[in-house]
Amino acid sequence: MAGKIQIVNVSKTFVIRHNKADSLKSKFIGLLYKRYREEKEILWALRDVSFNISPGEAFGLIGRNGSGKSTLLKVIAGIYPPTKGRVELPNGSRMGTMIELGVGFHPELTGRENIFLGASIHGLSRKEIEGIYKDVVDFSELDDFMDTPVKNYSSGMHARLGFALAVNLNPDVLLVDEVLAVGDEPFQKKCKEQIEKFRAQGKTIIFVSHSPEDVKNICDRACVLEHGQLMFVGKAEDAIERYHQLLAQ
Amino acid sequence: MGALYRYRELIRNLVLKDLKLKYRDSVLGFVWSLANPLLLILVYSFVFGHILRGGPPNFAYFLMVGILPWNFLAQSLMMSTGSILDNGTLIRKVALPMEVFPITTVLFNLAQFLFALVVFFPMAWLFFKVPLAWSWVNFFPILVLQVLFTVGLSFIISTATVFYRDVRHFTEILLTLLFWLTPIVYDIQTAGPVLKQVLYMNPFSHFILAYQDTLYRNIFPSVEQLLVLASLAVVSLASGYMLFAVSKTRFAEEA
Repeated sequence: MAGKIQIVNVSKTFVIRHNKADSLKSKFIGLLYKRYREEKEILWALRDVSFNISPGEAFGLIGRNGSGKSTLLKVIAGIYPPTKGRVELPNGSRMGTMIELGVGFHPELTGRENIFLGASIHGLSRKEIEGIYKDVVDFSELDDFMDTPVKNYSSGMHARLGFALAVNLNPDVLLVDEVLAVGDEPFQKKCKEQIEKFRAQGKTIIFVSHSPEDVKNICDRACVLEHGQLMFVGKAEDAIERYHQLLAQ
Repeated sequence: MGALYRYRELIRNLVLKDLKLKYRDSVLGFVWSLANPLLLILVYSFVFGHILRGGPPNFAYFLMVGILPWNFLAQSLMMSTGSILDNGTLIRKVALPMEVFPITTVLFNLAQFLFALVVFFPMAWLFFKVPLAWSWVNFFPILVLQVLFTVGLSFIISTATVFYRDVRHFTEILLTLLFWLTPIVYDIQTAGPVLKQVLYMNPFSHFILAYQDTLYRNIFPSVEQLLVLASLAVVSLASGYMLFAVSKTRFAEEA
């Protein structure tokens, strides 16, 4: 897994539709009457962002709400295609997204069924899932609840199962978005330990957070985004300082 | 396409999930899915066979041969209006080949179709004394072509609904119309020349006629017939896949 993640001149626009014509009916009426016609407004969520992330690095994305950091994470993950520019990933690297824990879990299915479903959402084969199943259960400490439908889980248990699955998917690049904010203190501690473990294994981590504290503890380097523009790239401490300056303005 | 193969386990799990959710915790779960075609067959054979005194011989069996594959098509297309939209939360959070969703919809309905066949055909032997015939082997190639044809249409409908939500209502109305423009409850030979032309323009008529030849009239469908079905499948799949491929980059934003 050699090679950098390169983010090259990435821009991302969203089209905000006023008077949204999302049916054939309204499209047709819009042809006849101007005042019902759809109007579009372009929102630049990211504007010409470029930087590199080295293999094995823990990299933070900071910025206030709406600054574009989650959008950038989704562009790197391949969920949103960039409007301009490109993201280059090292060949054959496996991306793991932790944008939401337990994504794709169905409340009516049991813990066991959800592990199989959730892991296959990330592209694992049945053999691979059977291989990690025990580790997922052990990590979640939910051995006794594997035959219980997930709808009867507490929110903490739900998060634990989701996290246990996410860390055992064994990606080369881990994209993390604010997931550490859930769960009780022992759970959060466990999450942080796991991220440390990933770091020790030399995995690349890209981490979105509001919390300067977490970024300082976890990341080597970080970037600061403001209104979709890159304000700073550099050491995590310096990035946090820059972020505080921005907030003070 | 390679990505799709890598995600075959996801397709399997999604189909199993839908089947489990449909049948779990309901004693009659499986029976419910048979109730609808059974009711249709009974009502039509009563209205057309007994009240109007029409219909081809062994009319209930004739209806069964048409209605079951029609239900497979119509339910797949109706469900595919939600294939992408209903998975919006997933699509916004994980990068995955989104083709799995319409494919899952069709395979789920295929499973239900096969269940229905397993129940209805033994009944047909028992009650209507339908003889087994060699022509029945053609059922499988026709079914495969129908599946490919349906997947192509599902790509189109699931994409269109993302951008225009009322495609759902449009599809429903169109299917009601198409049901009567397909020779399901009447024999195509009884139709006049103009109506016959119209029926042949409906692509699904060709599938139903092939099923009727194979299972009801016990004759082998001609090579031309099979070529028509194969062309329909290829055209539907190619155009559906292309539309889906150019549109899917916008699904995470629009769904």
